[in-house]
Amino acid sequence: MDHPITDHPTTQVLLIEDNPGDADLVRLRLVECKTPVNIHCVHRLSDGLASLSKETPSVVLLDLNLPDSRGAETFRKVMEHSPNVPVVVLSGQDDEALAIKAVHQGVQDYLIKGNISSKHLERAIRYAVERQALLRSLEITRKQQIEFKNQFLSHVSHELRTPLTCIHQYVTLLLDGLAGPLAPDQSDHLKTVLKSVNQLHAMIRDLLEATRAESGKMRIEPRCLALGDLIQQTVTMMRPMAGEKQIGLEIGVDQRLPLVHADPDRVLEVLINLVDNAIKFTPPDGSVVVQACIVEADPSTVYVSVSDTGRGINPETKTLIFERLYQDADSVDNNRSGLGLGLFICREIVRLHGGRIWASSEPGQGSTFTFTLPTYSLPKLLAPVIIYQDRLRPAFVLVRVELTPRSNPPRGVWKETWQQCLEIVQRCVYLDKDLVLPPMGTSGTAETFFVVASTDLDRSGIMITRIREQLERVPGLKSKCALTIMATPVQLPSDISSQSLEQQVLTVAEQITGMITTGLVRSSCVEKKDKRDLN
Amino acid sequence: MPRPKILVVDDDPDLVRALRLRLRANNYDVTTASDGYSAIASAQKEHPALIILDLGLPVGDGFVVLDRLQNSDALSGVPVIVLSARDPQSNEERALKAGAAAFFQKPADNDELMNVIRVSLGGASPASAVAIVGHPFGTAPPRPLTSSH
Repeated sequence: MDHPITDHPTTQVLLIEDNPGDADLVRLRLVECKTPVNIHCVHRLSDGLASLSKETPSVVLLDLNLPDSRGAETFRKVMEHSPNVPVVVLSGQDDEALAIKAVHQGVQDYLIKGNISSKHLERAIRYAVERQALLRSLEITRKQQIEFKNQFLSHVSHELRTPLTCIHQYVTLLLDGLAGPLAPDQSDHLKTVLKSVNQLHAMIRDLLEATRAESGKMRIEPRCLALGDLIQQTVTMMRPMAGEKQIGLEIGVDQRLPLVHADPDRVLEVLINLVDNAIKFTPPDGSVVVQACIVEADPSTVYVSVSDTGRGINPETKTLIFERLYQDADSVDNNRSGLGLGLFICREIVRLHGGRIWASSEPGQGSTFTFTLPTYSLPKLLAPVIIYQDRLRPAFVLVRVELTPRSNPPRGVWKETWQQCLEIVQRCVYLDKDLVLPPMGTSGTAETFFVVASTDLDRSGIMITRIREQLERVPGLKSKCALTIMATPVQLPSDISSQSLEQQVLTVAEQITGMITTGLVRSSCVEKKDKRDLN
Repeated sequence: MPRPKILVVDDDPDLVRALRLRLRANNYDVTTASDGYSAIASAQKEHPALIILDLGLPVGDGFVVLDRLQNSDALSGVPVIVLSARDPQSNEERALKAGAAAFFQKPADNDELMNVIRVSLGGASPASAVAIVGHPFGTAPPRPLTSSH
């Protein structure tokens, strides 16, 4: 068993105390201690933190009211700075309540000034040091256990895939008639097996995903995204499932919905999960509605909700359902499949986007799950490039670079291709006056990049030529995809100069957003159209 | 016309048998290997048109195989499709960088796998075989230009 005080011949004390009398008194008591003590005394919190950055003392003796910090703030700052160093608060007689609060929040002990004997002080320091060491080792053990568990789950989900793959292969082999013809009911039985295999597969995926989320290894790749399309896609995918139960699946998307900054695959995962749940918990002939809107009070946030006419959620479980492994007790007899990971994964995905997710419901009245996503703020991105010397630059052109793959390449391969192209486009622009917008859309078959260039249409030709030449040099790109580059001038209202500069930026952004979302760039400006197959 | 030959490399003989049946039904000839060493030997001897490769293999794992293939003049042009139970988050990019043409996590969708094989061998891909994610600009109605410049 470690005894830090006896192991280390000298106890290093950092005393943070601004009152010279109190400091001397503590110093005196410390000198009287049986164990040798080395004292470093500072009068300000900032000096204390600076000292902690340089060396780690055995213990910090801390007065809470210092010239540069007062009250609870003082111990919070010390603990935030050096979470592993034990802290003993030196409290006045009149603020013992604060000292007790400090103990609740993690300091090891407190002493009432004027009441301190050297024996008392020595014991407080010794216990503080030992308790802190104990807590630390517990924390390390806890982290190791989590890590071990996550590694185990990751290993298990990998190992489960191997036999699952085998089952999947043979069932589909039979179902596809590759091992001879099947009688209709045999085929039905096999379809049941396949359904279960798919469920098992989904569970394994969730298990790995939740493990990843828990260990902070989940990643998102946000893009500039039209959420309405993603919702449409979700509803199209889920309609057959809703149809089986005669459940109506409707969309209500605000026409003026701004673009969001989000990872399309991940948001799709959240939407599918929520709609899937809604369908499962809604009785036949009910309805499920997916909505997206923006509220005036909070224009930088999009609200997405999935409402159902199911049996609702009990008020006390409304927040619990988002916890890992939570299973609604009632759902067991409802033949509900799943591990209780879906909503946990949803919450983690939404959190990674900087959003929130919550459920609102009255039992028997259906429930609504709502999550938020940040809007994509074009004005913020644009401002630095379209303003020069406190004035809006005179003209802007929106350049659209479209890569259309010739076949359906595997996603990973295609992604590598277009990311390489995006990097090239970025190298073809002037960083101080042109802006390559983040990738747009749901990353489908065609990939489109937009460049806002501070130039007029005639001069944009140079940039287009440069981009085309550079892209054509990419080995193998010709065989992989067709390239289209187009430029369209950004039309601005003639009275724009009468607006405030801030308003002018908003106007330009609005105009560009309009051009992007309505496909104007594609259909207009035929004379500058530069469509060339790379072949 | 000779049927293209595909080398299937996996240490699970049951899975290899099922893949062989499916590939034959899709008009491919199949040859197999169950470890990294024999995969390379077999590739050199048989000159397959395409290789389906597991990553967790005895005697030289999938990455070793990919590396050997890439460094062989005769074999570096053969498309390799990785079919592995491993986590794509940590293996897909690595495999593609090492020269793989595609990465599938087990269990893979058969239609998608067959489609990628067809495409990798230079055939046409039926659009319906792969789920196409909607693209917002593909669906937006074109609007006439309202003002002149």
